[in-house]
Amino acid sequence: MLPRRTAVPPAGPPPPRLPPSLAGNPSLPYPAIGTELTELRLQIPGVQGSVLGGVDGLRIAHDLPAPLNPDDLAAMAATAFGLGRQVSHRLGQGAFRQSTVRNDGGYFAVYAVGAHALLSVVGTDTINVARLHLHAPPVADRLATLLAPAVGTR
Amino acid sequence: MANLDTALKDAMSIDGAIGVALVDYTSGMTLGVAGGTPEIDLTVAAAGNTDVVRAKMRTIEMLKLNDDIEDMLITLGGQYHIIRPLTGPTGKGLFLYLMLSKARSNLALARHQLRTIEEQLEL
Repeated sequence: MLPRRTAVPPAGPPPPRLPPSLAGNPSLPYPAIGTELTELRLQIPGVQGSVLGGVDGLRIAHDLPAPLNPDDLAAMAATAFGLGRQVSHRLGQGAFRQSTVRNDGGYFAVYAVGAHALLSVVGTDTINVARLHLHAPPVADRLATLLAPAVGTR
Repeated sequence: MANLDTALKDAMSIDGAIGVALVDYTSGMTLGVAGGTPEIDLTVAAAGNTDVVRAKMRTIEMLKLNDDIEDMLITLGGQYHIIRPLTGPTGKGLFLYLMLSKARSNLALARHQLRTIEEQLEL
């Protein structure tokens, strides 16, 4: 008979409860967040849209055209963040900052928005990705400032 | 034939050179930079001028001129900026970007030297 795993009662205190998600928080400045996302799309040709999501993978706000699903992208941004965080944990390179996926037909870039949220940007294949990398981090910083009151009160 | 580092060094030896970059205009990213000043971030210049090159190429296409850019000159109050797309088989999608001080440079000579550097550059 093959060895089997058996349940072991957890030693020590239970893990701490996770803080509530940023997604759906009614105290967030949604109009200001929306303006930042729209401006990003208007200022850089080739940006199809963007999503602001929590590191938990839940959508906070988005500016995406119809066929793209903001909830899916917020979840995938958290997946990219998770991989980046593990890589950084192994290499000792500090906090996650940015991740880019390039496919035949376009780009998917994820930027850290403080420690609790992520900005994901969908771009066409012809996007000036260097310009996006110059422009998006300041946008992420401003979004982090907008989220700061809600993050601080958790 | 010169490699990238030699080409950038040669470009910086042109009279009045402030900075030079080799840029991929499909992404706007730099393959190499030399010179520059604390105030001038050549990666910003590369990303911005990528849009300039793309706009000009699109215009040539829309006008059905069936031609290519040999070089572009942008004259500022105190500087010349020369953009030169690479023509060799290994240089597809790249351009050289050279910033010159207007007061310290000879434009005709600089343009000639940049052409020579571009022709000899092999990646």
